[in-house]
Amino acid sequence: MSNERVRVRGVSIYRPFIYGNTATVLTPKERDASQAPDHTHRWTVAVRSAASLPDSDQVGGADDLSYFIKRVTFKLHDTYANPSRNVDKPPFELTETGWGEFEIQIRITFVPESGEKAISFYHHLKLHPWTESGEPEIPPLDVAMKAGPVHAWQYDEIVFHDPYQNFLTLLTQHPPTPMPKTKRKPVPYHLANPASFTTSKGGVPEFNQEMEKEELERLEEARKSVIAEQDKWRAILIEKEKELERLLKEVGGQA
Amino acid sequence: MAASAADIRSALSIPEANTAAGPSQPKKPTQSNSRKPEGISRELYSLIGPSAPSLAAQLAKPRLKQKPNFGGAAARTKWELRTFRNPARKDGLDLQHWTKAYEDPNAEYQFAKYNIQTTQYTYSQDEYTRFLEDSEWTKEETDYLFSVVQEFDLRWYIIYDRYEYTGGPIRTLEDLKDRYYSVCRKLVRNRPWAGDEASKAQLISSFQFDKDRELTRKKYILSLENRTPDQIAEEEALYVEVKRLEHTERRFKRDRENLLRILAGIDSGLPDVVEDDGGPLGVLADGVGPGISSASTTRKKSTKKGTQSAMEVDTPTTPSVVGTPAVKRPNNAKNAAFDAQHCIIRTETPSTGAATKAAHQPAYLRSYKLPSPKPAIAPKITQALAELGISLTRLVMPTRDTTASLEALLDATTALVETKRVVDRVNQEIGVQKLRLGMRERSVSVDGETKTDGDNAMEVDGPNAADGEGETEGEDGRAQSVMSTRSVKSRKHARRSVSISSVDTTSTRAGPKRQKRG
Repeated sequence: MSNERVRVRGVSIYRPFIYGNTATVLTPKERDASQAPDHTHRWTVAVRSAASLPDSDQVGGADDLSYFIKRVTFKLHDTYANPSRNVDKPPFELTETGWGEFEIQIRITFVPESGEKAISFYHHLKLHPWTESGEPEIPPLDVAMKAGPVHAWQYDEIVFHDPYQNFLTLLTQHPPTPMPKTKRKPVPYHLANPASFTTSKGGVPEFNQEMEKEELERLEEARKSVIAEQDKWRAILIEKEKELERLLKEVGGQA
Repeated sequence: MAASAADIRSALSIPEANTAAGPSQPKKPTQSNSRKPEGISRELYSLIGPSAPSLAAQLAKPRLKQKPNFGGAAARTKWELRTFRNPARKDGLDLQHWTKAYEDPNAEYQFAKYNIQTTQYTYSQDEYTRFLEDSEWTKEETDYLFSVVQEFDLRWYIIYDRYEYTGGPIRTLEDLKDRYYSVCRKLVRNRPWAGDEASKAQLISSFQFDKDRELTRKKYILSLENRTPDQIAEEEALYVEVKRLEHTERRFKRDRENLLRILAGIDSGLPDVVEDDGGPLGVLADGVGPGISSASTTRKKSTKKGTQSAMEVDTPTTPSVVGTPAVKRPNNAKNAAFDAQHCIIRTETPSTGAATKAAHQPAYLRSYKLPSPKPAIAPKITQALAELGISLTRLVMPTRDTTASLEALLDATTALVETKRVVDRVNQEIGVQKLRLGMRERSVSVDGETKTDGDNAMEVDGPNAADGEGETEGEDGRAQSVMSTRSVKSRKHARRSVSISSVDTTSTRAGPKRQKRG
């Protein structure tokens, strides 16, 4: 038992996961039935595994993350009744209705074996459809309803440094389902990649491994162009310096 | 007698060709699948059948090589005299050469691909002060060296011959090479690199130059070449002597050991009786000439003094030390697959003692660790990246690779922004110097000398146009840049007046100058 609580040095182990929300417009009937008639949307905020289940209409969630996550706390806007909502068992998600977007604080508490403190981060609750320009824009409800559910998901990885032996064992007993290698469904839209606006159309999005490759290419492309630019500017600089030298000589020569 | 063929077959243990058919039956034409090979007589072939021994097949008369057909009119190649241009020439000179008529007349000159230009390395003042300072070299001399290297295209003996820098110390060929290659190495190492790390390391190692080693090598060769015939003869004599001595000693030892074995048995308490197998001499004697192998004479107590040169030759003569890539920790494919499946990343454990609890890095999100730019230039970097469609604060897939990639991008962009800033500063400096020059010239031109100013004014526009958007640094900088832009205006004005009429230039030009001084 004692050597179970030894940290395995030089090892980082991470778990890919996604967080975000899905939002749908309430039908007039649903709105009448609800207690808050001003609420226009039903949304679900969740913390899930990155890979999606086949033939599922939800984003991600192929694996049960409760083997390392003990609790997820969603801290909602203060106008909600008891805004801090704890979810102690999978699925780690919360469904609510509302009319406006706000920042949700998500706090993940790990299982005691991890010996790790909880981590927290924010998710901007997205109700209104993404726009091509990136500018927020609130379309009329009937238009939004036709556009279908809104998805806003962020991929991320939880990294554990030098995990305890028993926690490492626990994690390796649950290898994450790999994301599909290629694009099978639309990709989730992301602000950092405006080009994904078109590829995100048409159904429930799914994360795939190509997205990372695509992003690497994008960054590499940018780096190449920056370096080309840098070379250009260096040539300019060298020219300028030569000119300056000439001028200095001229000034010095005439003095 | 009719069975004679079958008899011979069985004697040669050749299987019966057609057992079903009786010997009296006419033979089926078996020739259809196997023709009689050349070189075997018909009788012999009919005797032994298609399974001719390979030896017989080799009896075939060797065929002579077919005569090349020179005569046929169809095969004759047409040649024609065509004009072509060598792309290496800048003057567009039309040259002529004979080519085969069927070759594409528009094809590029086939030797053009061998005209490869070496990459020219240039550096800015900023880079020079940061990486390239050397107590033995001034920037001017380094500049001069690079210009000579460029002029003679890395032909070092010519460079050495033509190198004439007034005011500098006398340089040897190795000095020049050393300086040039070390500058190139430093530039490659410190500049952002567009390719991958391996190609960078390869490029750096191609610029490797070890001056001391090269000098020693040349010294060795020199001393080896300078041996007199007497010395060579002595060396050879020494070598023979050594061989003889060694042989005698070995025999002596063997004899002694044998004697001891006979007298005292195997456990005679003389453990150091080990037969000398000749050591390195045995190896050397095989392939290397006597001149070199006498280097190992040091081992022997030879009374005669070996020549100095021969002692030193033994070191390897190749001066290049190609950097070997760092040895990676062996990691077999199975482990890698396991790690990939479980998302495990193994790092080298730092050996700095036992990590305390406080030193433990808590769990974090990958996106926490995105690189961030220096605060001073953050807005510029964010803007520059935004133009490329990259957001520094968020990634679609924050993984280890993308984070590293983003960091590389950030580094490159930082370098770019820094360079632009230096360009701005130099621009400003140019403006100031121009202004000073202009003031002085104007004061000269008041005295009636208008010509020189007219020439210089032509160059004023270019750099100062950029000066307008240049960043100003502090009060002083701003004042300067304002001054310089103002000076441009006045100078432009002045130039215009020159072009219109050179008669009343003195009056217009004197005007703004006095204003500024007042």
